[in-house]
Parts: sequence; C-alpha cells; structure tokens
Amino acid sequence: MTHRTRGTAGVTDVANHDRTSMQPATPMTSVTPVSTTRPLRRRAAWLGVAGGAIALSGCATNAPQDTWAPRGENAQMIHDLQWPIFAIAGVVGLIVFVAVGYSVVKFRDRGQPIPEQTHGRPALEIGLTILPAVILAVIAVPTVSTIFALADTDDTDCVINVTGQQWWWEYDYPVLDDGTICGYEPADGLTAAPIITSGQLVMPAGTNVLVRGTSRDVIHSYWIPQLNGKKDMVPGRVHYLRLQSDTPGIYAGQCTEFCGLSHANMRMEAVVLEPADFQRWIDNELAPYEAPEEGTLAAQGETVYVQQCARCHQVNGLVDPLTGDLVVSNPQDHVWSGAAPNLTKLMARNTFAGATWDLLTPECRADVWEAAPEDFGERYLEGVSEACLNTVDLREWLRNSPAKKPMYADAERLEVTDGKVRGMPYLALSEDQIDALLAYLLERK
Amino acid sequence: MAIIERPSTDVATTGTAPVYVTTDTTYGVFRRPVQSEGWTSWLFTVDHKKLGIMYGVTAMVFFVIGGLEAMLIRAQLAGPDGTILSADRYNQMFTMHATTMVFLFVMPMAAAFANFMVPLQIGARDVAFPRINAFGFWCFLLGGIFLNTSWFLGGAADGGWFMYAPNSSVTFSPTNGIDFWLLGLLITGIASQTGAINLIVTALNMRAPGMTLMRMPIFTWMILVVQFLLLFAIPVITVALVLLMFQRGFDATFFSVEAGADPLLWQHLFWIFGHPEVYILVLPAFGIISEVLPVFSKKPLFGYPFVVFSGAAIGFVGWGVWAHHMFASGLGPVSVAVFSVATMAIAVPTGVKIINWTLTMWGGKLRFTTAMLFAVGLIIQFTVGGLSGVTHAVAPSDTQQTDTYYIVAHLHYVIFGGAVLGLFAGLYYWWPKIFGKVLNESWGKANFWGMIIGMNLTFGPMHIIGLQGQPRRMYVWTEARAGEGFFNLGFWNLVSTIGSVVLAFGILFFFINIWVSHRKGTQPAPLDPWDARSLEWLTSNPPKEHNFDRTPTVHALDEVFHRKYEDRGENGQHDYVRVATTEELLAEEEANADSHIHLPAPSYWPLVLAFSLPVMAYGVIYSTLLIVAGAGILALAMYGWAMEPSYADPSDYDPDPPSGGAELEVANRG
Repeated sequence: MTHRTRGTAGVTDVANHDRTSMQPATPMTSVTPVSTTRPLRRRAAWLGVAGGAIALSGCATNAPQDTWAPRGENAQMIHDLQWPIFAIAGVVGLIVFVAVGYSVVKFRDRGQPIPEQTHGRPALEIGLTILPAVILAVIAVPTVSTIFALADTDDTDCVINVTGQQWWWEYDYPVLDDGTICGYEPADGLTAAPIITSGQLVMPAGTNVLVRGTSRDVIHSYWIPQLNGKKDMVPGRVHYLRLQSDTPGIYAGQCTEFCGLSHANMRMEAVVLEPADFQRWIDNELAPYEAPEEGTLAAQGETVYVQQCARCHQVNGLVDPLTGDLVVSNPQDHVWSGAAPNLTKLMARNTFAGATWDLLTPECRADVWEAAPEDFGERYLEGVSEACLNTVDLREWLRNSPAKKPMYADAERLEVTDGKVRGMPYLALSEDQIDALLAYLLERK
Repeated sequence: MAIIERPSTDVATTGTAPVYVTTDTTYGVFRRPVQSEGWTSWLFTVDHKKLGIMYGVTAMVFFVIGGLEAMLIRAQLAGPDGTILSADRYNQMFTMHATTMVFLFVMPMAAAFANFMVPLQIGARDVAFPRINAFGFWCFLLGGIFLNTSWFLGGAADGGWFMYAPNSSVTFSPTNGIDFWLLGLLITGIASQTGAINLIVTALNMRAPGMTLMRMPIFTWMILVVQFLLLFAIPVITVALVLLMFQRGFDATFFSVEAGADPLLWQHLFWIFGHPEVYILVLPAFGIISEVLPVFSKKPLFGYPFVVFSGAAIGFVGWGVWAHHMFASGLGPVSVAVFSVATMAIAVPTGVKIINWTLTMWGGKLRFTTAMLFAVGLIIQFTVGGLSGVTHAVAPSDTQQTDTYYIVAHLHYVIFGGAVLGLFAGLYYWWPKIFGKVLNESWGKANFWGMIIGMNLTFGPMHIIGLQGQPRRMYVWTEARAGEGFFNLGFWNLVSTIGSVVLAFGILFFFINIWVSHRKGTQPAPLDPWDARSLEWLTSNPPKEHNFDRTPTVHALDEVFHRKYEDRGENGQHDYVRVATTEELLAEEEANADSHIHLPAPSYWPLVLAFSLPVMAYGVIYSTLLIVAGAGILALAMYGWAMEPSYADPSDYDPDPPSGGAELEVANRG
C-alpha cells in the first residue's frame, strides 16, 4: 500500500525514497517545516472554518478525480506539501476573521468619543509586514525542493509516448534498444512492436513511468489527479510528466486545458497492473490478428469495417477478405490531426470516444472499478465480453457520432481544414451494419 | 447647464496675454457645440462627471449582460449532462462572460469612479485632457457594443477569455467570433490607454495647492498606480491582439506550430498583460474601501504610507509573476520555482493592506452603513481569495488545482469578493455625491446580504468541486466522475447554481434600490451625509459643473475632516470638537469664489473619431470598403479635432454673469 497517512510519517517516507540528482542534498531538512506545522492542522480542523472544510475534503475518497487522495509517489509528494499550506492558510484566515469580527462587535459606535486621528505605529506596521513574509519564506523552501523533485527524469523505468488531439489521447509504447517494451520482453513467439492504443494508459505497478507528451493540434493537458499534477501537452514541444503507483486500479483523469468544442469529452484513465498482469497485457496487445470465422455475423462486420472504418482506424494485421490485401489506414487523408484511435484491441480497454463513454455496462464497470487491488488485474484483463458490452452508448455512437459528441465533422464547416474532419463524421450506417460491426468489434481483444 | 467659457480678458491680473479665438476661426461645423441641456449635452460632453456617470451606466448594463451569461452557465451545470446550451454556445458563453466582466464591467466601473472622483479629490476642475477623456468613453462603449454584436453575426468568440493559441486560429475557430473579440478589445484598449495617460497627468499635475503626493487621498493613489499598470499592460495585450489579427485575417504564422512558432509565445504575452490586469481590477476597489473604512470608523486610514507603498509595490511586483498562470505549461523547474517564490512575495503587500484595513477599524467608532458593510465584506471575502491564492502560489499544489473549479472559486473571491464588493461600497458611499440622493439603507442591506450569501453559495462550493477534480470550461460534467458522499459534485454544483440565483436577486435589489431612492418625494441628500474626510465633499451634491468655486488649498491629508474638527485635548488626551458644518465650509468657498473659471467646452469630435473605429473593425471582418470609409471618418474627425477652436463662438456664450461665483452657482442650479 502506498496510500500513506498524512503527517510526519508520510513526509518521512517520501523524503527517504530514493531520489537521485535533482533532490536537495538534505531532504529531511527541507521538509522539516512541514512536519512542525502538524499541530496547526489539528487546530484548523477543530475550528471548522472554510480552510477546515477544505481540509476535510481530503479525508474522503470521493470523486475519482479527488485531488486530495494520492495513490502514487508523485501525487503524494504534492499532497504532503499542500495540506500544511491549506492548514496555515486556514489559520491565517481564522485570525483575520476573528480580528475583523472582534473590531466589528467591539468598536461599533455606541457614542464613544471620536478616536485619536493617528496614522498608526510604524513599529507595529513593520512587524505585521515581516510576519507574513516569514510565513511565506517558510512555505517557499519545501515548495522549491518539491518543484525540482517532480521535474526529475533520471529515475525513469519506462517511457510512454502520449499524444493529445481533439478530443482523445493516443498512447504509444516504444520498443527500446534492448528489444523490450517498458522493460518487458514479449512472450516467446511474439515480435516486439510499438503498441499503439488510446483512452487508457496501462502501466505497471511500482514503476517510475515517464510520460513523454505532445499534441497534434491544439494545447491539451494531461492530468491523472491521483497520480500527479497536470502537464500541458503543446504542439511542437515535448513535455514530461512522472507517473507512479504501487496500487493496481483505474485512476480517472481529464483534459484540463481548454481544447475547443468537445473539451468536456476528452477524458483519460491510467490503469495500473501488477507486473505479471502487465506482461499479460503486453502479450495480448502484440498477439497476431485473428479474423472472424467465415459465415458469422462478425465476418460480415469485418467487411463493413474495411469499407467504413479502416480508412481512419487501424486494426493491425487486418486483411481485406475480398482482395486479400493487408489493410493500412490513412487517417492523415481524412482527419485534421492526422490520427484516429487504433482499434486493434478495442475491447481490451473499456472506454471509447476519448474515454468519454464506457464499453462496459454499469454493473460490469463497477466490477472492474471497485475491484480490490489484488483482483483488479484479473478483472481488467478479461476485457469486454458480449454480456458486458454497453451496446446503448456504442450503438448511439455508431449511428451518429457527432450528435453524441460535438465535433467538427460537418462537411460544410470544413472549408478551413481542406475538408478534413476534426473528430468522427456521420457514417450513415444501417442497423444491420451496426449489428455486424458490434459483433466484429467484440472480438477485438 | 453647461458653462460656456469666454476668453479671459483679465490681462491685468494674470499678466499674460490671453489667446483670443476670433469668429474668423470658428467656421461652419467646426464651431464647438454649446448644448447645455438634453441628450445632446451628454453626447458631446467633455465633463469628467458626466463621462463618469456614462461610464458607470454603461458598465452596469454590461454587468447585467455578463451576469445573465453567468446564470446560463450555472443553469447548464446545475445537473449532469446539461442540455440548456450546446457545447458551442457554452464555450461562447464562458468566453464572453469573462470578457464582459473584466473588460466591460470592472475596468470601466473603476474608470467611472476614477473619472468622477479623481478631479474632485485633488481639487481640480476637470481632467487634464477632457476631449480625450470623452474619446475614451466612446471607444469603450462602441467597442463593447461591437464585441457583443458577434452574438448576432455567426456566434461570439469561443476560445476562452485567455484565447490560447493555436486554438484561436481560424482552423480551430472558423467563425468570426474571435475576430470580433480581438478587434473589440483593441478598441476598448484605446479607452484604457488614453484614460491612463489622462489620469496620470491629472493626478500628477492638477492637484490643488498644498496637496503633496503624501496628502493625496488613497483612492486617487490607487487609481494612479492602476493607470501606470494600464499604461504598460495595455500595449502588451495590444501587440498580442494585433499579432492574432494578422494570424487570423492575413494568414500570418505567429502562432502556427507547423511554421515553427511556439504557442507559448501567446501565453507569455497574454499573461504579461493578464496578471497586472488582476491588480488593475482590484486596486481601485482597494482604494474605495480605503476611503470608506476611515469615514465610517471616524479614524484616518491606519498606516496610510504603508497602504500607498504596498499599492505601489503590488504595481511593481505584479509584473514579475505572470508565469504563475503557466505552472502546468511546461516552463521547466527553474522558471516555475522563480515565479512560485515571486508570487508568494506579492502576497506580502496584499497582506499589509488587509492588516491596515483591520487596524483602521480597531479602536474606531464604527457605523455600519451599507457602504461600510460592503467594505468589511471585501476584507473577509478577499482574504478567502487571497489565501486560496497562496495555495496555488505553491506550484506543485497548483498543478493539481489549475484549470479546475478551485481556480474559478479563487478568482471569483478575488474579483467578485475584492473588486465588485469594493465597487458597490463606492456606489453606496458616493451615490449622494454623484446623484444628490442617498440610496435607501434597508434595500441597501438587502442588497448587501443578498450578494454576500449569494456569492458564498455560488463560489464557495466551487472550492470543493475543484478539489474533487472538476475541470473548468466543460459544457457538461458527468455522473461517472461525480463521486458520492458529502463532497459529491452533483450536490455542490446544484448548490452553486442555487447560489447564483440568490446572487442575482441580491444584485436586483440594487436596481430596485435606485428606483426606490429616486422616487418622487425622496429627500435630496444632505451635503455631507457620512461626515466624510476628503475634498470631493467640499462641493455641492451633485457637484457644481466647475467642481469648486474656489480652488481649495490643502493643509493635511483628510483635509475636510480637519476643517470640520479641531483637537482641543491636552496632555496627550484627544478631544475632537466640531468647529464647522460642511454647509459653513461650502458657504465660505462660495463667498470667495474665483473670478475666472477655466472649463473646457463640449466637442463633437471625440464621438466622431471613436465612431470611425468600429466601422473599420467591421471592415476588417467583412469588407475593405468599410475600412476605407472608416478611415475617411477617422481622418475627418482628426482634422476637425485639431482645428476646433478653443472657445465657443461669442454668440454662444452664456448670459453675462453679474459678478463672482456665487451667482454662477445659482445659475448652475437653475
């Protein structure tokens, strides 16, 4: 378990964690002010002011994007820094409220004589200027050391490329020089190749993952609050973000830089798997394409897919059943950002359309999301079964995707992008075609 | 009625030859307008008081528009998957809400008070450049209208008020909304820039005899600091907007990544303007409550020099913290650390102000009028915003908070709790001075409590919503990310929406109050209803057109208080005795009125010149012909402006005043 209790113990834990080059030479010293403020926190909680109420919000595991519920080292570092500051802010606020409240009650006009017309005492004034300066100087020290600790990239175990586009995230697991992916060798018989997926970033537990991010169109921001703060992903630049967690599970996130029309529908999740499960996930992602059995509904779906979807959406190893040619998608000819989600293992993940809708029915989704850490990997790797498929949202999506998620897909509005869509266009699929596609896609896992 | 000034013939006393403008030089349409009554007197006025009122009324209209936009936003977010607004409309709505509130309400409302009060507070008859003052107002009004016409011409801007590149380029925002936005802000920016120069010159050069800088009322001081901020900030945003105009209108590549540009350039330009802008918004309000608190505490402002210098310090350090809006932008740890610490540093002078306001009340004799309530409300609410500001001065903590509703909570406690409450304190405090009626206190208190309860219900829950991970600028939020229990997003979003309705009622009470207070039969305001302390109270309510019959001579900070009260205490004891009523003070001024009063005459040209700008702006969007037409009007207006005679035609003069200023005063009331 890495979910450390707040307070001195947690601070020590993080400080002792092996940090390399950028960490100040004496981490214990640098966090001392944090631990000395602990009694202040108790007082703030007792007095239940605004700051106190905010402090309370950290205690509950509420919304999945709760910023006060760290589940990884980096988020924990931020948390250990932020709660004492909230506590200090709460106490300072309280002092101001009490002082103002006291003046308001005590010095109300009750016929007292006109007070002395003085502009105050410089000594008091200077003292009251230095006091906040000292408080802020105390806050500044751990702040600066944490900034540098969170920018450290020397202890990376695994690099994952993350690319934002309107309005979804693509993940690309590169094959390293040693033939591994993220330090893992594919099982015998499988060829190591870059894994390209979207929506859910799958990462091994206990591993320092470095997200290497950019964007293909406008600025997006990558944010998994329980694992780390956010980092903007800017076209033309590469930015880095550390992610780490020891606890298997799904961690929700959301694009936090306004990125146009469907900014609200650009979500993402980080999936943390035990190393053995992560190995299974990699092997599955690299498994060769299996065409549907001839004569099945899924086989009809394959034909529909090749005709309707494969222009933009790659399925690795797909062979056109009519021509026998390998099908390679060309999203750059149709989509402004030049990419569309790779659907090779669509049903191995459990969300679609920018992680906005679930591929799982609500019951099955709860089974995965609420699984205990030790059972989580098993549940997640089951993928989406026919019984669990959320056909409601997926059908609506296939019927008319721009109606479900606002996108620039209307041919009349695409003059400025040379006719290329931003998002997925309306495809005018028949219900039969949709049935066939669902059957085909269900096998993509 | 307007005083139409004649050329001075008083050579003997002044010793300098007057500049005569003969009828030969007043030709045709270039003679100055002389209307002293009716709507044309407002249209062509250069009177700082009339312009102040016009600024205020216009700002209030935009406040209502921006408020309605906010109500629609909150209605959309009241529950999950809101359907009141489409994604497109929602994006336009939050862009225009922020743009309207910042550029068309808070800034011009502060300009309204600055225009009206600065000349009065320093004992001047008008601002230094009256026609430029009028030109500024018309730029603001016409720019604001131009900006809002985009709603009816294909949709408003949809890129957020920060308008980050490259999302603001034509590829990603193909409608004309952003063009309207950038051109509209270029025009209103002229108002700020000319206003800044005008007020700086006014405050530095036109103070009454004896008013040293350290005897200058604190409101004027804060306005002076703000004008310097504007003077340097507006050019930065202007450069950014011009680059964006070329990017969108003429295929320039300043922000095109494929052409080698770095989109962070826009962010730096925007926030180099945008952060000083925050202080541009709040410092006038700080100035207002620094006037209000002493008056209703019957004490001078505690640590006046500290408040002055902390205001100036904010004005300087405010330039060195812009990148704290960019902690998640990928600046690198060194920049982030520097800006993080600089941001903490600016909390010190801000804290000094809060301490000084509290200590001003300490040991005072407090009267809780509505103006005072708003001032105390500001101290409390702004403190909340300031402290949440400290939590994101800490950059690592900010990477969890930025672009979430926690920031929305913070900025509204700062701008609504700081600037808007301060402006309302000013409205209640100066209403009798401006309009000659005291606003009703019962409605005033309903107004105050409605706004305080409303704002805390609206913006308070946003702290929770944001810390629970709800990002800003999302047209819908989803049940799947809402959580359960006490902190669930559903409940608090609903509370926030309900709060916005309460807030709207609170503000509605203000408008009811205006109506109630100006009904037939309400008494005119007493000359000095609050027992005030500064020079603007040394004239009638509303002030005479020429402000002061005699240019006052200043002997102390809080001049009017010291003319009214004398300390008769001995041996370190204080005993303040009233030695004069304000009526007596005013009568003395009237009895010793200046024989010659120099006042600027009205002019057509500011309006004509300002009118040419939106014409050209429409031209940038729709047709080059319009640009040419607008440029023609511009050239004509500049020519007319330059050639306009200094004085009106003799046949336009007011009837001869018998002699002295007292009669002038009578004529003025007629």
